[in-house]
Amino acid sequence: MAVIVIRPASSAWLRLHEHLARLAEYRDLLVTLSAHRISVRYKQTSLGLAWAVLQPLMMMVIFTAVFSVLAKMPGDGTPYALFAYTALLPWTFFSGSVTSATNSLVSHNQMITKVYFPREILPITYVVAGAFDFAIGFVVLVALMAWYAVPLTAHAWLLLPIVALLALWTLAVSLVLSAVQVRFRDVGVALPVLVQGLMFASPIIYPLSVVPASWRSWYLLNPIAGIVGSFRDVLLHHAPPDPVPLRFAAIVTAVVLPLAYLFFKRAEATMADLI
Amino acid sequence: MPAMDVRDVRFRGVSKKYRVRQPASSAGLRYQDFWAVRDVTLDIPRGETLGIIGRNGAGKSTLLKLLSRITSPTAGTIELRGRLAALIEVGSGFHPELTGRENVFLSGSVLGMKRREIAAKLDRIVDFSGVRPFIDMPVKWYSSGMYVRLGFAVAAHLEADILLVDEVLAVGDAAFQIQCYERIGELRRGGTTMVFISHDLGSIERLCDRVVLMNRGRVTDIGSPAEVLGHYHQLVAESFAADTAGASVVAEAGAARVCDVRFVDDAGLDVPGTATGGRLRTVVEIDVTVPIAEAVVEVFYYSRDGRTLHCQQSTATTDAAVVLMPGRRRLEFVCDGFGLQPGIYSVGASIRDRHAPATIDWWYGTRLLDVKPGKSVRGYFYAPHQWRWADAPDGQRRPADV
Repeated sequence: MAVIVIRPASSAWLRLHEHLARLAEYRDLLVTLSAHRISVRYKQTSLGLAWAVLQPLMMMVIFTAVFSVLAKMPGDGTPYALFAYTALLPWTFFSGSVTSATNSLVSHNQMITKVYFPREILPITYVVAGAFDFAIGFVVLVALMAWYAVPLTAHAWLLLPIVALLALWTLAVSLVLSAVQVRFRDVGVALPVLVQGLMFASPIIYPLSVVPASWRSWYLLNPIAGIVGSFRDVLLHHAPPDPVPLRFAAIVTAVVLPLAYLFFKRAEATMADLI
Repeated sequence: MPAMDVRDVRFRGVSKKYRVRQPASSAGLRYQDFWAVRDVTLDIPRGETLGIIGRNGAGKSTLLKLLSRITSPTAGTIELRGRLAALIEVGSGFHPELTGRENVFLSGSVLGMKRREIAAKLDRIVDFSGVRPFIDMPVKWYSSGMYVRLGFAVAAHLEADILLVDEVLAVGDAAFQIQCYERIGELRRGGTTMVFISHDLGSIERLCDRVVLMNRGRVTDIGSPAEVLGHYHQLVAESFAADTAGASVVAEAGAARVCDVRFVDDAGLDVPGTATGGRLRTVVEIDVTVPIAEAVVEVFYYSRDGRTLHCQQSTATTDAAVVLMPGRRRLEFVCDGFGLQPGIYSVGASIRDRHAPATIDWWYGTRLLDVKPGKSVRGYFYAPHQWRWADAPDGQRRPADV
């Protein structure tokens, strides 16, 4: 019979494999909770699932009106609406998931103080729900590309690893912010401003090409920059993604995600006392 | 596998410290350490039902939270053999927008069940809960009773090797509580190790093989339920006496001992109790070893969970001194109109010196007082009374008992 040893919190840093094994044991909870997260979201809305399509479309219309029609922002040779939407889609996945995941632990304080389960499941379910919206938004993107007669080429397959990278980076940020939010609610207050700032620090409304070369290496430390740029490369420019920004994004994620997870598990040990 | 040797739970020097923020101090943030659990070492053999009792803040709930991994210890380790499930609060993880059926899956997976396992047990769970007609309705429209029943039904069907139970039985109506006790009995017979926290000393007494008494974060006593519950009541009484008298002279502890408290009818035969408004004779059997010049003997009637003192009989209400000489003595309280509401009461008795605040002996046995419905009562208790015509000539003012 399996022996579980409950140890003091300080040992959480050392036991990555145990944490992952525990998470795997609770995969059914992850699946159930994610499914409910998605089904609950649009319950008691009259438009239901249509919101998953409408939200990014409305953003696209607003962005196009403001930045293209009024501010005459360049679209790198593609129609601005499509240019903006291609970046808004991954960006909304990131910002939406991070925003809702940050509060995930605090809003489930009832569960956290009453019953044990690996707490990372809560922020993860918001990332999964974000991925679901992303998938629907992607169908809309394909429709938009057809509308603007931009073909979908074989390069689109390269999106799979890029989306995986996006999801992992989103997860890393969600883990850290949700854990810090338990102790310092300042995070939740500052988050809208931070997200807004990060959006302008990423090539969403403007192309990556307008960023001065001397800023590049700093600019690309933000993995979203490389990921969004790659989306445009693959879908709009029909080219393999620019390897430099993507490599930056991959390295930053590979370093940050394990640390973020261990940080989360260390914080988890006393979460129920603080929440 | 030799059953006696298997330990399902091992606590080894477990401590838990909380940092408590000091209120509004001028010198910035100040913290004070508070040890909720201190150096607990304890083994729970397989199949045992262990009760944990103690006053509020003794560390019982923290111990359970450590065991269920809701929070981590500051020092020490806990080893668990097998799957542990906690009934700390039923209905944890219910989502109001989801239907009862969906919530069974959600709550089951929160408690660590696999989807397949839940699907296989769904029918039994729904039948147990008794909310089948509403199972496809969002639980936000459930009554609180239905909510709790469904929550308990899920938890009661967990296949756990170790089950933690904290006060969940204080929910639902009487029929549902009986159903819960039956289920717990079933699990016990099936060999599930159980850890029980409750203020309901009656159920602790009935269900547990062993009881742990906690005080200020430490385990101060382990033993059979009768033994430990007795010590617990003594602890409560002593701290009460210390609070009220402000002194704690240990006067002749062991000079006399309460052996038993019984109820008898007019023929002197043992009876389980009386009816509201009826006659109650309470016999206290005392063993005296050292003479006590002025003793006070008292009997207490508590609510069944031992939390509320309903009434007291005391020799101190008269001026007559109780002289206790060595030997076996029997002292009797007689009440002609015993006024408590129908119900089951737990009974305690004490001996103390009239001039010292400390108790000489405290008895809290397994005796329960059964009060049957008698004179009908509205309000808190029956007050013995009569009535007569106040405006009739003297000759016709005949009293009539009520």
